Amino acid sequence: MRTAAPVAGFVALLAAFPFLVTAPWLMTIALFTLMYAVLASAWNLVGGYAGYPSLGHAAFFGLGAYAEAIWFQHHGIGSGLAPFAVLPLVGLAVAAAGLPVAWIAMRTRSDVFAIVTITLLFVAQTLAYNLRGITHGAQGMAMPVPDFAPATFERPFYYAMLALLVFALLLSWAVLRSRLGLALLAVRADEDKARGVGVPVGTAKLGAFALSVGITGMAGGVWAYYLSFIYPQFAVDPLVTIAMVLMVFLGGRGTLWGPVLGAFVIAPAQQYLAYQYGASQLYLLGYAALFVLVMLVLPRGVLPTLADRWRRRRLRADVGPEVAVEQP
Amino acid sequence: MSNRSRGRDTGRGTGRGTAGGTARGAGRTRVRAAAAALAAAGLALAGCSSSAAKPSASSGARPALTIGISLSLTGDFSDSGKSAQRGYQLWASTVNAAGGVLGRKVVLDIVDDTSSPTQVVTNYQNLITKNHVDLVFGPFSSLLTVPASQVAKRYGYAFLEPAGGGPAVFSQHLHNLFFVQPAPVVQQGDVFADYILSLPASQRPTTAAYPALDDPFASPIAAEVRTRLQAAGIRTVYQQIYPAEATDLSSVVTAMAAKKPDLVVAGTQSADAYALVKAMVQLKWAPKLLYLSNGANDPLNFPGNVGAGNVNGIFSSGDWFPTATTSGNSAFVAAYTAAYGGAATSIDSTSAEAYSCGQLVQEVAAKTGKVDNATLISTLHSGSWPTLEGDLSWNSDGAANASYVLVQWIGGKLLPVFPADRAQSAPVLGKLPWSG
Amino acid sequence: MHETIQAIILGLLTGGVYALMASGQTLIFGVLKVVNLAQGALVILAAYLSSSLFVSFGIDPFLTVPIVAPALFLLGAAVQWCLLRPLHRSDASQLSLLVTFAVALGIEGVLTLVYKSDYRTIQPSYANRSWTVAGYRIGEVRLAACLLSLAVLGALALLLGRTRFGRAVRATVQNPTAARLLGVEGDRVAALGYGLGAATAAAAGAVYGMVYSFNPNSHYDLISRLLSIVVLGGLGSLGGTVVAALAMGVVSALVGALISPVWSDFSFFVVLLAVLLVRPQGLFGARLRGAL
Repeated sequence: MRTAAPVAGFVALLAAFPFLVTAPWLMTIALFTLMYAVLASAWNLVGGYAGYPSLGHAAFFGLGAYAEAIWFQHHGIGSGLAPFAVLPLVGLAVAAAGLPVAWIAMRTRSDVFAIVTITLLFVAQTLAYNLRGITHGAQGMAMPVPDFAPATFERPFYYAMLALLVFALLLSWAVLRSRLGLALLAVRADEDKARGVGVPVGTAKLGAFALSVGITGMAGGVWAYYLSFIYPQFAVDPLVTIAMVLMVFLGGRGTLWGPVLGAFVIAPAQQYLAYQYGASQLYLLGYAALFVLVMLVLPRGVLPTLADRWRRRRLRADVGPEVAVEQP
Repeated sequence: MSNRSRGRDTGRGTGRGTAGGTARGAGRTRVRAAAAALAAAGLALAGCSSSAAKPSASSGARPALTIGISLSLTGDFSDSGKSAQRGYQLWASTVNAAGGVLGRKVVLDIVDDTSSPTQVVTNYQNLITKNHVDLVFGPFSSLLTVPASQVAKRYGYAFLEPAGGGPAVFSQHLHNLFFVQPAPVVQQGDVFADYILSLPASQRPTTAAYPALDDPFASPIAAEVRTRLQAAGIRTVYQQIYPAEATDLSSVVTAMAAKKPDLVVAGTQSADAYALVKAMVQLKWAPKLLYLSNGANDPLNFPGNVGAGNVNGIFSSGDWFPTATTSGNSAFVAAYTAAYGGAATSIDSTSAEAYSCGQLVQEVAAKTGKVDNATLISTLHSGSWPTLEGDLSWNSDGAANASYVLVQWIGGKLLPVFPADRAQSAPVLGKLPWSG
Repeated sequence: MHETIQAIILGLLTGGVYALMASGQTLIFGVLKVVNLAQGALVILAAYLSSSLFVSFGIDPFLTVPIVAPALFLLGAAVQWCLLRPLHRSDASQLSLLVTFAVALGIEGVLTLVYKSDYRTIQPSYANRSWTVAGYRIGEVRLAACLLSLAVLGALALLLGRTRFGRAVRATVQNPTAARLLGVEGDRVAALGYGLGAATAAAAGAVYGMVYSFNPNSHYDLISRLLSIVVLGGLGSLGGTVVAALAMGVVSALVGALISPVWSDFSFFVVLLAVLLVRPQGLFGARLRGAL
């Protein structure tokens, strides 16, 4: 494991970050960055490995947020660290809810799948609005406000997100090295052929989807607790999906570290630059331009492109320039 | 207009809500939020100056008084966000021309939250712990008020906010929060109920219908009026919540017309208010009396969206109007039209709400000789404070104890008609223009 | 009963407008195999252009269509040529989804810059007029819109069925490789197809702007409905799209009138999911998507 050391170092650095940087505003940005890294890694399980571009993951983010809020509505107001303890349950519940959804949606192929999952977003949001007895509808739901000290207020949320990120990465890593991972890659390459040669296509897709939305839901739970108040339109927000997708595409689909890289570039830039230069109406145009640029210039993402270039250079060094030219 | 622009408020995120007026802003807007950021990231468009005056050092002996504000300047409600910005900047330049607050020059640090709750938290964290502003004012759109007010509370900042008047804001029981409008939004329709109940029995409607937008700043208004009118014996024949994405309210109006109510009290924002009137006009059905909580109180956009010939007789209510006789209003109107041009009627009430926050800071400073947060909080909680919005005093949760003003379209103009002490015309009880 | 029939009439008229908007979407999918997330934005863009022509020059909104349509045709063809054509690769369908989304954002950004974000409505003198037929109200604009939809859909059907371009399109749809061997230039057909799909948005936009209030981000609501319609109709089937659009209009209106407006869109989405459960290819979709 020659990658083990740098990985451990990376995680250790993230773990030490709150002690190195104590400014609350930086902690807030770091917290949201970790959240997006978790979300992007989770999305990658379905959208990257299996090649099914879900545009409805925000529905599960919202489901997690509501599950967390509803739990505390019904089980008294635990505050402090208690809300973090129920996260695994929230994750399991969201994953279970994802199974039937995946079963329907994954009967379709990738472009229709994208559309069906968008529909899912609206279904989830409508339910959040209309099931007033459970969700309080448009009036929104309050979460307890923890009494953490202002100076270190963000820390518990930060570590919760970090734990989720480590979990998501370990899971992705394990999946990649398992039969599930092989099955997913086969699905992505050619689903019909994979089914033909006996790959358990259905199980693999369902498994990946459930894991993916379970993690997404847990991130939603932490987010809800941090903001302390959720409305349907914020909890089930297409922006969240769009951000996940863009981060994964930027970093590199189907790679372990691509989504993390994408999130670490885009999320802080987003938070900080919107704050700093927010008043410009040119934002949307710039965003659109960035999007198009990534798709046209780096369609596979930063990491695969760099890896390719590096491999080609080594090849050139080993064999000489003629062969390298033939590399696509 | 008290809420009309609460931007995001209404916005329902995802694809919902076309018509929903303000309502739909939200989701959509968040897309742009991301957009925004990324864009900036990608392009490093440093050029797009934040419209905020950045705290510039200098300025004489006394340090500047910096005030941090996060507004929704991009996205669906950017127009209204800009109205708030104008109100704040007008106040700052007015007070600076007169020597500042306690001799300190006021510098506004305005940032954009792109209507995202995540961004608004980041923004207030940055304003307070990075830029170390002296004071903060609330965000422009009210759904963002709750998370923003929590940040302010954490650091002991007073939170004067012109936009967040929904029940969720006050149920936080925050001692540092002050809603700078006459009363919680829920009570916006009370003035109309007062008016109806002031009518002699012979003129009073006997049946009423209550359609309302599914929105924390719309449906509670209709519900509140219904409770009061029902108690007074006015029968409820129809009530319906419609979602923000209902672009077409024809089916609601058809169902409502079948019940033949004398009175329609609609909890509306903006686009749904237009859609409701349009549907009534198309179906050629009109009640005897029509009240729309918001949308109809926007003199700039209402006539253009429903047809200028269809406005007369419609009631609404508002917190501020150009001809109000509240403290400093004529000076405000004069300064506004001088600075930005246009007629007094083109001023959005949002600008007045924002300006009023500034007035409060000035008044506290004049009375106590201090402008720190603790002084603001404790001082504002006692006594009554004159603003453009009227004389305000607050309960312990930050809700003000004044009332809204009933307005009506008369002869193509929006005029305050009730209560009598603030009215500039008597209410007109006549047929709506399209009732044939 | 009266209420039910009135709701059905309203639903059919609304469905007609959606059929017009979705037909462009379907055409683009049929020709390019691209799910065009920008279709809603194109409709809103057309609505603004139409509104500007009406306000500034007093041109009747229906007569703005022949002016706006060519402009959108060029825009659409340019989008295909400059942004989508270079993508062609194994996963072009995923990438193009995101590129068309970026186009939608770009259009929204430009509209916000130029027109600001307040709602507006195109208000010709006849916008709110209606007829009464046997006790039922029929809005003049809505009926005219429905007729315009039929006319445009008819013209599209003729174009695809009777012209050389149409044959080339159908050949491309059925078998791109064979079509190329027979001398059909795929890229050009694709650009024309996207342009044509965008041009139908011109007619849809003028109508939409008269019936509803809109602002630059109204396209998000539109796109969710349009996507559901084209999926329900079977991606790429023009006839299926029309049926699905009418079905959506009627289901939403009925649920809105008889149950509650808060469930009307929801009910349609549920119908969509139920249909996909039984027929993953949609109502009229062939598994191979042979015909347009």
